[in-house]
Amino acid sequence: MTSAYSLNNIKLEQQSKTILDIPQLTITSGQCVALLGENGAGKTSLINLLAFTLHPQQGSIQLFDQPVNSKLTPNQRRRIGLVHQQPYLLPGTVADNIRLALSLQGVHQSQLSSLTQQALKQVNLTDLADQAANTLSGGELKRVAIARAIAYQPDILLLDEPFSHLDQRHMQQLEDSITHFAQQAGKTVVFSTHDRFQAQALANKTVNLMAGKITAAPLLNLYHGQLNEHYFDTGKMQFHVTSTLSHARHLAVDPREIIVSPQPLQSSMRNNFSGRLTLIAEESNAIRLTIQCAERFHVIISPEALISLNLSLGNTVWLSFKSTAVTVF
Amino acid sequence: MNYFTESLLAAFRLIISLDADIFRIVLTSVFISITATLIAALLAIPAGVSMALNSFTGKATLQHLLNTLMSMPTVVIGLLLYGLFSRLGPLGHWGLLYTPTAVIIAEAILIFPIMMNLTISAVNSADPRLIPTLISLGARSFTLTVHVVKATRYPILAALIIGFGRAIGEVGAAMMLGGNIQGFTRTMTTAIALETSKGEFELGLALGLLLLMIAFALNFALSWLNKS
Repeated sequence: MTSAYSLNNIKLEQQSKTILDIPQLTITSGQCVALLGENGAGKTSLINLLAFTLHPQQGSIQLFDQPVNSKLTPNQRRRIGLVHQQPYLLPGTVADNIRLALSLQGVHQSQLSSLTQQALKQVNLTDLADQAANTLSGGELKRVAIARAIAYQPDILLLDEPFSHLDQRHMQQLEDSITHFAQQAGKTVVFSTHDRFQAQALANKTVNLMAGKITAAPLLNLYHGQLNEHYFDTGKMQFHVTSTLSHARHLAVDPREIIVSPQPLQSSMRNNFSGRLTLIAEESNAIRLTIQCAERFHVIISPEALISLNLSLGNTVWLSFKSTAVTVF
Repeated sequence: MNYFTESLLAAFRLIISLDADIFRIVLTSVFISITATLIAALLAIPAGVSMALNSFTGKATLQHLLNTLMSMPTVVIGLLLYGLFSRLGPLGHWGLLYTPTAVIIAEAILIFPIMMNLTISAVNSADPRLIPTLISLGARSFTLTVHVVKATRYPILAALIIGFGRAIGEVGAAMMLGGNIQGFTRTMTTAIALETSKGEFELGLALGLLLLMIAFALNFALSWLNKS
């Protein structure tokens, strides 16, 4: 399969601080990829690198197996659509903004109207074509920004935190717009989010970012602290780990590897904590439990397990997991 | 007090009677100032946008130089250009001394740093998302400049008005390079200086009032732009 992006030995530094350090990353064409990470993990910087609006100090990025020089050619530029975290619409109407994008991409005057209509139809906003851009709601603004980015029919759509500050209804509409684009043959979508479940619901592949590095560890139960011998100390709790990586500052626990029980368990597992059940939520055909110990834990169990455990909010429960369920990095 | 009141009334009478001499002077002033403003704008706006958009070695020094030029005394500009345009000067064969062209050049040079600095401020104070958005949509050098100017048109127009205001109120360079020739290079400010020194206080006052009216109109235009 063709790769939309191939990143090699990328190092991005700003004010002597490493923002991104990615030895290798390939994004296959036609995939929907979520960049998952906390604030400051480097998601926006990576999106900007992929849009070629930011350039790394070291390493190379190939776009559709072609090396990219310091500036994109007009044809390469036309293959990428970018939607910023807080999109900016220029003064004028919604249609003016889309027409501007089309003319900047060199689309012929005769095609402007039809492509504008087509783009607005894709995000289900044809009624707003003549509305002033500065009168749109947050959700409408993001969808117009998507329409503007896809109007010239790019092969790649990059979205930086598209779901931030949106209510449930607008989030759903936005998800539909992104899914509609992603379902077209050969279209690649890369979006950043800090919501693991949103990432799983929309994307075929998730790239976990932590402090500028790609990590295989799930980021749902993520804690920061220091490793001393075989114990990782967060300041509130101590986790038993098998790793001896002395410079590790982060620890993640796979939410599917945590065992929940209403009574203390007698087992060989080295990490055992008790806490209060504060949330039971349905997520992508599974149940997510939130348990408040000294730190907050998220646990994924099956709906059948929830019934058999007979859990209610406020119950005290015991959590157990092996040292091998823990990743430190 | 009587002298002042009588002069003021006489000045009003001169304005109301649409005195031909006065209006020739006003037209000369306006023509010279508008031409100088347009020439300066053609150079200062692209230069200002380009400087705001790009980072280069010596940018800070250039900014300091522009700030210094903004406060350069007009007589110094007049003096330098006089040296260039006078018969013995390197550009003396152009025959520009004591012509409106010489005054236009001087005023354009005078307002260029002001307009360029204000354009830089206009671009720098625009929404920080404007330029990344335009670049991500495919704008490049020329198209980027055009769209940045379009988006910041109101503060840039304000820079034009301020430049025009500075040009029309300038006296030192206009006197040295124009020579205050009646019907040719006599501007409102040079005429005020001359008429007052001749004891024709009414005429000077009439021109002063017209200059104030122009300043008021410019301020009105600026506040209208600010509201926009």
